[in-house]
Amino acid sequence: MKRRGTGVGCMFYGVGNTGLPNPAAAFVQVLPDTSVHVTVGAADIGQGSSTMAASVAAETLGLNYEDIHVVWADTMYAPEGGATSASRQTFITGNAVKNACQTAMGELKRTASEELNVPEEDLVFRKREIYSNKDASVRMTYPELMAAMGKKGRLAVGAGYYNPKTTYLSPVDMSGVPYELYSYATCILEVEVDTDTGEVSLLKAVSAHDVGTPIGIKLVEGQIEGGTAMGTGFVISEKIDVDPKTLAIKNPTLSKYIIETSMDVPVVYPIVVSSEGEAGPFGAKGVGEPALIPSIPATIAAINDAIGSSFTSTPIFPADIVKAWKEQQKTQG
Amino acid sequence: MNKITVHCTVNHKPVAVEIDPNKRLLDMLREDLNLTSVKEGCSEGECGACTVIFNGEPVTSCCVLAGQAEGADIITLEGVSVDGKPDVVQQAFMDAGAVQCGFCTPGMILTAEALLAKNPAPTEEEVKQAMSGNLCRCTGYAKIVEAVLLAAERARGGV
Ligand code: FES
Ligand code: FES
Repeated sequence: MKRRGTGVGCMFYGVGNTGLPNPAAAFVQVLPDTSVHVTVGAADIGQGSSTMAASVAAETLGLNYEDIHVVWADTMYAPEGGATSASRQTFITGNAVKNACQTAMGELKRTASEELNVPEEDLVFRKREIYSNKDASVRMTYPELMAAMGKKGRLAVGAGYYNPKTTYLSPVDMSGVPYELYSYATCILEVEVDTDTGEVSLLKAVSAHDVGTPIGIKLVEGQIEGGTAMGTGFVISEKIDVDPKTLAIKNPTLSKYIIETSMDVPVVYPIVVSSEGEAGPFGAKGVGEPALIPSIPATIAAINDAIGSSFTSTPIFPADIVKAWKEQQKTQG
Repeated sequence: MNKITVHCTVNHKPVAVEIDPNKRLLDMLREDLNLTSVKEGCSEGECGACTVIFNGEPVTSCCVLAGQAEGADIITLEGVSVDGKPDVVQQAFMDAGAVQCGFCTPGMILTAEALLAKNPAPTEEEVKQAMSGNLCRCTGYAKIVEAVLLAAERARGGV
């Protein structure tokens, strides 16, 4: 018999380390041709931290994304970036890039102020132009500004870093401020369970994520879609089989550790929720791990809803489901 | 061990490669022909990262002995781009945001090329079916499927 069920999973997740110093840094230079070198230590493993760094630099400096060149993760040249973990790079490296750009803008502002006769605090840097927020007709282009910088022998360089505001946790009662900010998410997921074979089909997942200000919607969606595939897989097929005696992993191959294929993943409807006032660059927060977390309880709840079981742990394999269904039938008599 | 010479066509050019007879096609392509877009993910035919187009079919090159390629026509990702520019499938992968870490991407694109050569107007189900031998840990496949459908549409002269 095929039975359908729906489950909901909610989470909040601290971005960055737990109450430990957690800094990352960036170097920036705006070159005479208005192209920009950004150097960060953050390792981009596909989540898009380099794209994020370029977006943050472009927004801060008032240039275009295409003007920014990012060198990343090369420890010969790059400053400390910390680990690509704990969903922290957008928050921490993003803020480091912003701080470095703001330092580089010191000379840019001074020069633009002299050229336009506008006080520094009234200057707006946007889309390759600099203008007065009192009178937008008082303006110059970025190439004009860089030419003026060249004439005066000034360079636009900056180094910056960011360390989130946290406190060590008390060893007595674990109180303290473990994270500077939190991401929030909810996933609603529908499954179809075959009670004869125990097979679970993942039908649909709607996954909504508060990411602060999204930096690159497509990247955020990609994180949510990929995370949902990981989270659901964690429930229905992925199990690290550890030998209790030797502690060796017994299934370190893709034929024995089963991850979802394009046929297995649910249809994911990512919803990117923006919120304001967060401590990340332009209000952005991390989405890496939050992308997968709520789909795990949602999948378990959906299976429980479908067959009246009470699973609380992962993974749930077909044999477990057939057994739970039989017990359930028995108790119902 | 006596070496053997394999004659085949790789990326539209005839080649003759002298190799150990127990060498896999994957290693011949990577080591002897320096075609490093061909990735080794699992070495057991599960992941599809090592996919090449072999006489028109997507084949996992980790499971093929190089000697079996005698006379074959082989395409790797390096043979897909046109004059150094991305072809329609590669462009669609970029536009759809179908690449995260990129390790599965060469195999994904070649599987898509082989599918579209045979079936220029696949349904979403057909795309998912065709790509199901290529594992991706990052994307959840949504944007990969979207990219293949987009490429098909563009190749047929849509958008
Ligand atoms: S390396 Fe050949 S299929 Fe994985
Ligand atoms: S993009 Fe990383 S495995 Fe597919």
